[in-house]
Amino acid sequence: MTRAEFNYDFPHQRLVSITDLNPLDVDILFERAEHWLSVCRTPSKKADALRGLTQINLFFESSTRTQASFEIAGKRLGADVVNFSAASSSTSKGETLLDTVRTLSAMNPDLLVVRHKACGAAKFISDATGIAVVNAGDGMNEHPTQALLDAFTLTQRLGPLGGRRILIVGDILHSRVARSGVQLLNILGAQVRLCAPSTLLPLDADRWGAEIFHDLDNALEGCDAVMALRLQRERMAAGYIPSSREYFRFYGLTHQRMETAHPEALVLHPGPMNRGVEIDGALADDEERSLILDQVEAGVAMRMAVLEAIGTLARSNEARR
Amino acid sequence: MSERFAILNARLVDPASGRDEAGGLIVEHGVITELGQAVKGSRLVDDGFDGEMIDARGAILAPALIDLRAAIEPAWTPGGETLDSLVAAASAGGIGTLVLAPNDAMALDTPETLRAFKSEFRPRPIRLHLAGGATRDLAGETMAEIGLMTEVGALYVSQGDNAIADTRVLRNLLSYASGFETFVALRPCDATLGAGAIATESEWAARLGLAAEPSITERLAIDRAAAIAELTGGKLMIDRVSTDEGCTALARARRRGLEIGATAAIAHLTLNDVDAADLSASKRITPPLRGEEDRLALVEAIRSGLIDAIVSDHRPLPDATQDQPFGDAAPGSIGVESLLGALLGLVHDGQLDLIEALRPVTSGPADLLGLKQGRLEAGAPADMAIIDGDAPWVFHAADSHSNRRNAIFESRRFQGQVLKLFVNGAMVFTSDN
Repeated sequence: MTRAEFNYDFPHQRLVSITDLNPLDVDILFERAEHWLSVCRTPSKKADALRGLTQINLFFESSTRTQASFEIAGKRLGADVVNFSAASSSTSKGETLLDTVRTLSAMNPDLLVVRHKACGAAKFISDATGIAVVNAGDGMNEHPTQALLDAFTLTQRLGPLGGRRILIVGDILHSRVARSGVQLLNILGAQVRLCAPSTLLPLDADRWGAEIFHDLDNALEGCDAVMALRLQRERMAAGYIPSSREYFRFYGLTHQRMETAHPEALVLHPGPMNRGVEIDGALADDEERSLILDQVEAGVAMRMAVLEAIGTLARSNEARR
Repeated sequence: MSERFAILNARLVDPASGRDEAGGLIVEHGVITELGQAVKGSRLVDDGFDGEMIDARGAILAPALIDLRAAIEPAWTPGGETLDSLVAAASAGGIGTLVLAPNDAMALDTPETLRAFKSEFRPRPIRLHLAGGATRDLAGETMAEIGLMTEVGALYVSQGDNAIADTRVLRNLLSYASGFETFVALRPCDATLGAGAIATESEWAARLGLAAEPSITERLAIDRAAAIAELTGGKLMIDRVSTDEGCTALARARRRGLEIGATAAIAHLTLNDVDAADLSASKRITPPLRGEEDRLALVEAIRSGLIDAIVSDHRPLPDATQDQPFGDAAPGSIGVESLLGALLGLVHDGQLDLIEALRPVTSGPADLLGLKQGRLEAGAPADMAIIDGDAPWVFHAADSHSNRRNAIFESRRFQGQVLKLFVNGAMVFTSDN
């Protein structure tokens, strides 16, 4: 069954959660991301798919890479991109989130890229304004474009992910990357594994459609790819794990550990990395295995695909009005 | 000791199998190869047995004792308990496996400390193990490096005598340790309700004006820890149950199918608060001595198997901390050398039969922690004690191998003494000399 047979177009006016997507939607995004990836590798990267549209990057949590990635993606598609960061915003002067987004909405933007520490923020802003929202991370809930770019990066190297064994290791409990990633990998038919100390695994993780491990060597067995998640220092202060050296000893990815995985197993990391905590520096820099920089490159292409799909719909809805 | 020897004319007592019969036993290369009624001198002679034959003269032959809780003192403590003095006292007490557990003076809370200790264990004649400190400085705030300590060889981790007030720390601790299949030993106490208590609330404590804790403190602590263990799948060891309320709470948790181990200290099984009525410093221990109904409940819990292990809770202390009024004395008592005598007292009094009394110092702790020793069976390590179950003696700390004198059983009359102790097939103690 292909898209052509159904004459199917991407139907979503926002992207707040991976659960909104079906396999055909993912297909469309992967196809367009592949296109944009090749465009981005040429000297003239500029397109005009979103020309005339205004994109506001609304980042209430600090971010360098994700914000830059969305900004470059929007600009390459011809949109006018404005960055709004919480540090310099009116929310720090006591304004409520609702008033802030209503104010911005009065400026008639067409796309909002939202990151906020509260779970459900992207949906809240989308519901409150009716503007097309792309969720760039809401609390520990979801980070759908990260999941898409990770899966896309893997697909570029491995082909379709159906049946592939993919491990996510690290702080699953606090990770929106893992929550979105597991859902997407399930949609794509991959065998998902999760590995973490018990303190960093949600109690119901075994019901996410993933196999649970506490021992990294067992978890790595036969894996085609492994994604290490960032371990934030505040997790140690909060008592989830005793020390970074113990964490590295039991959950750090190293070349030696990777030997139990598939001989050509790949390594991913959503960044920013803690070398010597969740991943050994030498492994992260291993061009044969590490896709960490490919992820960053694919990130721009995938965000272009997402902004294009949603922006195009926003434009046609506006025209209809 | 030769590589092959036999012990004959013994009363074989093995709690693991329930065996209590006359017979003998053959050891080869540190392992028990055959035992039972058929092992007799005449047969061995006929078979051309070339090893040494030891005549037990009808004495008890039981597995060497396993003690999950003892302490030494920090290195270079003047007059302090050393590994040498502890091992000498323990082997005279029939103990073949001894665990050094953390306390406030020695938190044992880093893998470096544990590794340094382990390097000193190797040449010692009995099996020594370590329990790691569960939280840094046993303060109940920051989890210690449980994974690394387990890798270095910690048999379990323990919070010493201290409570964990913060329930989130307790949750993370039990959850985290479960990933390493490690037991977390927690004394059933409450950070605030039991703070400053030196006795159990009772008519006696009230009359003497002792700061006391209610015995439901133990129930509260066990219920709380068991609920967290149930949530996290953590392996919980209740470290020294001492009250009727505690036994009831423990039984309730076990009925829910939780993997909860439990120990009791020998002092709480054999003494009660009336024994402390003379207010001598040696009677000051942690947890404090309880009422007679508590003691009886503990004996019943041993009989029913509710409690897995009896510990000596050997805690040597400087004399200066003992030359004090009851209220100011440091709590704790030496105990490795008096453990067996006190335990056999319960048998002579008819409170326990011999198998019931020996199970929690042999197969009970061995099964709890997955140790191969602690049983008389073909294939098991030859860790055994020959015991004269009736020999009368009086315990005097001054005669003990221990370097310290703070003994709760000082001048107590016992019946039952170790004649010989074997560990891994080697004789490590004999009363002959």
